[in-house]
Amino acid sequence: MNETEKKVLPGWVWAMLALAVVSAVLFLFFTDRRPEPGPALRYDVSEYEAVEEEAIRYAERQRLRVELEEPYGLAVAGDGRLLVVGDTGLLMLDAAGRELVRRELPFPSYCVAVAADGVSYLGGPDGVAVLATPESESVYWDTPGENILLTSVAVNEQHVYAADAVNARVLQYDRSGRLLREFGGPNDPENPRRFIVPSPYFDIAFDSMGSLWITNPGKLGVENYRENGELLSTWHKPGMGVDAFAGCCNPAQIAFKRGTTLVSAEKGLNRVKTFAADRSFAGVVAAPEAIQAGWSDAGNVYARAPIRDLAVDADDRILVLHGPLHCILVYEECVPGKDVE
Amino acid sequence: MTSEKQSGRREFIRAAAAAALGGGVWLAATPSAETTVWQIDPSKCVQCGQCATHCVMNPSAVKCVHATRICGYCDLCSGFLQPGSPRLDTGAENELCPTAAVKRSFVEDPYFAYEIDEVLCVGCGKCVKGCRQFGNGSLYLQIKRDLCQNCNECAIARQCPAEAVRRIPLSQAYFLKEAGAEENPAS
Repeated sequence: MNETEKKVLPGWVWAMLALAVVSAVLFLFFTDRRPEPGPALRYDVSEYEAVEEEAIRYAERQRLRVELEEPYGLAVAGDGRLLVVGDTGLLMLDAAGRELVRRELPFPSYCVAVAADGVSYLGGPDGVAVLATPESESVYWDTPGENILLTSVAVNEQHVYAADAVNARVLQYDRSGRLLREFGGPNDPENPRRFIVPSPYFDIAFDSMGSLWITNPGKLGVENYRENGELLSTWHKPGMGVDAFAGCCNPAQIAFKRGTTLVSAEKGLNRVKTFAADRSFAGVVAAPEAIQAGWSDAGNVYARAPIRDLAVDADDRILVLHGPLHCILVYEECVPGKDVE
Repeated sequence: MTSEKQSGRREFIRAAAAAALGGGVWLAATPSAETTVWQIDPSKCVQCGQCATHCVMNPSAVKCVHATRICGYCDLCSGFLQPGSPRLDTGAENELCPTAAVKRSFVEDPYFAYEIDEVLCVGCGKCVKGCRQFGNGSLYLQIKRDLCQNCNECAIARQCPAEAVRRIPLSQAYFLKEAGAEENPAS
């Protein structure tokens, strides 16, 4: 046997092998082989965002356009007109959304309330600003402290209340602007730590009986106070479920319907709900899916919660001021048998 | 004639040597382009979680950082607790962080302080997302310069959907997250 005789593979086989090796290298080089983050590395609250159809008891009837760059506060006047304030100005709309008054403000305003006599109270960076009419000059009330952020104003016949989120206090004024009392905060002799306000969402509202309610967002609930600052009742309901308040600091906004039905808006899980007078869950007004439709703040880490304010009009309709959509969403309670949702 | 030629050549060589030496000294004295490092801009980060899986380092050179001035010191901290956790305590079943890198300590009723154990943190951003969604957004992700390999082409930057990872000069401070800051200055 000839020892020099070797089995040599044909050239085309070598070529194919070389091509396969090159293809494999190129494939591995250009293909992303790193895994996507698994479920253990993902923050997912989608199961809490889902709301059963039966729980939604309200239907959106109208969208009123708000031509402000950043709308923050909403109030309903006694005659049904709507007042909206924001970073650049003030708008007055009629009930159908037609613009009646527009004016620039020299300060950003995060909240507004309108008294029965038509006087408007705005929360500004230095305290409460009073407008006798939407067109008139602002009168500023003295507000103690330097670092102030008024996130809510409420007014009744005798008093004006302003919620200061930075100092976790509620300031009580008489209608002439004299500071009468502070609930919570460093000047409250009874309980300086009455309110826990981790983020700039702190709201006040009167119920249909005229009783004062203040949110306690760090305790995930609402508290009822007498006008002398005495605590009447508390209702705290932490939890991710639809019948509770989620996250670290909710409810972000409150309002009241007839029969002292509480309307609440949350941040994080952007949803609007109602609770009966005994605080049992009454129904969902707007599910997260409805609030989050048509916009996104994914690229803006400093974005505020989309629901900027809540109000209830004389017809017991719920008005939701939606910041990113620049509109007021008007919700009416569905009538069984009439509304097919 | 020949000596003149030699003299000219010598002068030329001397001049060339002097120019080379002077040029070398000038080059050494002139500051070159500054070294740059990779950084995450917290104002752009969307907490997609890919910093944990795409960094060439294992665990990632991206770590969670806590801006304590923004923190609300909440008892029910959405950056520390699982959504819907049955109890507000440090039980493993309640903690959001997959590696228990977020440490909770009692300050005074009802406030708790939170800090990050960098050794345990894998940079997944789960806590950052929880904090941002419900809280003040005091937690954020950042590339730690002492851990980063400063790759020519950062694998995270290539993958980042928000283009939040970019190079900045080494002399520039870390991008911070501050209350009221809209975005970090462009480098």
